[in-house]
Amino acid sequence: MLDYGTKVVAGVTPGKGGTTVHGVPVYDTVEEAVKEHEIDASIVFVPARFAPDAIYEAIDAGIKLIVVITEHIPVLDMAKVVKYAREKGSRIIGPNTPGIIVPEESLVGIFPPRPFRKGKIGIVSRSGTLTYEVAEMVKEKFGQSTVIGIGGDPIVGTDMVEVVKMFDEDPETESIVIIGEIGGTMEERVAKLKAEGKIKKKIVAYIAGMTAPKEKRMGHAGAVVYMGMGTFESKIKALKDAGIPVATTPYEIPKLL
Amino acid sequence: MKLYEYEGKELFKQIGIPVPKGVVTDKPIKWEGKAVVKAQILEGGRGKRGLVKVTENVEEAILELSRLGINKFLVEEYIPHEKEIYLSALIDRDTAEPIIVASPEGGIDIESSKNVKIFHIPLERGVRGYDVLKIEKYLNVKGLEPIIKGLYRLVTEYDAELAEINPLAVTTDGRLYALDSKVILEDNALFRHQDLLEKFGRQPSKEAYVELDGDIGIIGNGAGLTMATMDMVKLMGGNPADFYDVGGGADREKVKEAVIKIGSNPRVKKIIMNIYGGITRCDEVALGIVEAYKVVKKPIFVRLSGTNEEEGWKILEENKIPYYTDAITCIGDALRS
Repeated sequence: MLDYGTKVVAGVTPGKGGTTVHGVPVYDTVEEAVKEHEIDASIVFVPARFAPDAIYEAIDAGIKLIVVITEHIPVLDMAKVVKYAREKGSRIIGPNTPGIIVPEESLVGIFPPRPFRKGKIGIVSRSGTLTYEVAEMVKEKFGQSTVIGIGGDPIVGTDMVEVVKMFDEDPETESIVIIGEIGGTMEERVAKLKAEGKIKKKIVAYIAGMTAPKEKRMGHAGAVVYMGMGTFESKIKALKDAGIPVATTPYEIPKLL
Repeated sequence: MKLYEYEGKELFKQIGIPVPKGVVTDKPIKWEGKAVVKAQILEGGRGKRGLVKVTENVEEAILELSRLGINKFLVEEYIPHEKEIYLSALIDRDTAEPIIVASPEGGIDIESSKNVKIFHIPLERGVRGYDVLKIEKYLNVKGLEPIIKGLYRLVTEYDAELAEINPLAVTTDGRLYALDSKVILEDNALFRHQDLLEKFGRQPSKEAYVELDGDIGIIGNGAGLTMATMDMVKLMGGNPADFYDVGGGADREKVKEAVIKIGSNPRVKKIIMNIYGGITRCDEVALGIVEAYKVVKKPIFVRLSGTNEEEGWKILEENKIPYYTDAITCIGDALRS
């Protein structure tokens, strides 16, 4: 992140207060860090068992944007954390996300820099590597305005619908790519907005998991279909009915833009 | 971690959901009167596959099922009933709220039922009398309180991602019995439930691995990319044998383990590996493949791009393992071979 130009002003690790890492001062608590610096965002790498504590701490310290990279946080914990954040006015991105990147400006996350170039496509994705792939494919011809991984978990702080709405209002973004997968109903809700004419910009979609058997979890905690909610078929149908072009392979996305 | 039916029913008993009297056995037993003999396997659709038997002769039914390779049985008293309903609890992903799913049509595939209602019960307040009343009215059944509260507790205290009773039997005199159980505990929360793991003698699998019924081994990094690879293989005319995500930042050991595991599946004829190195380094991946190919003998088709790709390609080249930079060509060549 430092290499990418993000201003990392403080780190927090209990017991390591007073030390520095790559020239960045470390504090014992978020509260102490907030007292010394002006902080816009926090990024959480803390192991799953302790991650909810770290997120609560950032919320209580008044940080407005919290990116949670950690994977394997229990769903029940996230359900509570996400609600708490909403009440306190903090936005969580993730968990289980590579983060957010505004190419050639700022990175809060673990995106590799190679596939990104400043441009006009907004990408929102439930995946990591697949996002890098798609970003690289559109890099030369279009570039990206902002790329957001919302996370591969069943419950996330910011969903695809919210991001698509923000892209629609963002002057830097010309068209939107959504990379979804089986499970949940976010893609269907994006399709509904588009069908109702509430999203003006062009959307192109790809959905992974056509061949996934039901009730089997495909790597991501969120990529699982229960009660027939969020099947591949229901997503494809909703998107196509809304007039959103759907790529059959991720490598087809640039052609549809 | 999906529980066996009998494990789920032990939890049901523990939290006050009534179940038929029964015993778990691995060999034929004597039983007085009519009973239901149920194969204890984790796959669904047992009824359709003839793995549930209503019988007067339990011994014979167990022998019959044993011949099909089943080695654990739940034998329960037969419960005559006039009605079957459906009830389950899980967390709704959109609202981050627990829900109770109910249907007056039990014993069927809930996904195909049109008569289903969802009741939201927020975490902050838990199950209240009026929730129970609403569900009872919808289902036209009385006495659901312990069952609704029990299912809700399985989700909110036991970290079940699904707790399902299908069907719940209603007898002529109004008694209720959970005839089946489907409880899936969330793997990520199992650290809070060591007692259950010990009680059932189970260990959850740590790998992001799902077995499928085709003959082409699939390995990828990242769940999305691995799923996409599986889908492309299918679209291009092949049949995936598995889904194996080595995850972000996989080192050579992890890659080696994955390739050996997939390579030793007797159904796998060839392996397709699709890697885009972000935090994963292509040279580490290549070294893992080379290590694995000291034992694995099946053809492998590797698509390798991203961080340290040139070092990765060089390692594969030196070891005469073909590689691709483009996934579609890689899959195409693999399928034609």
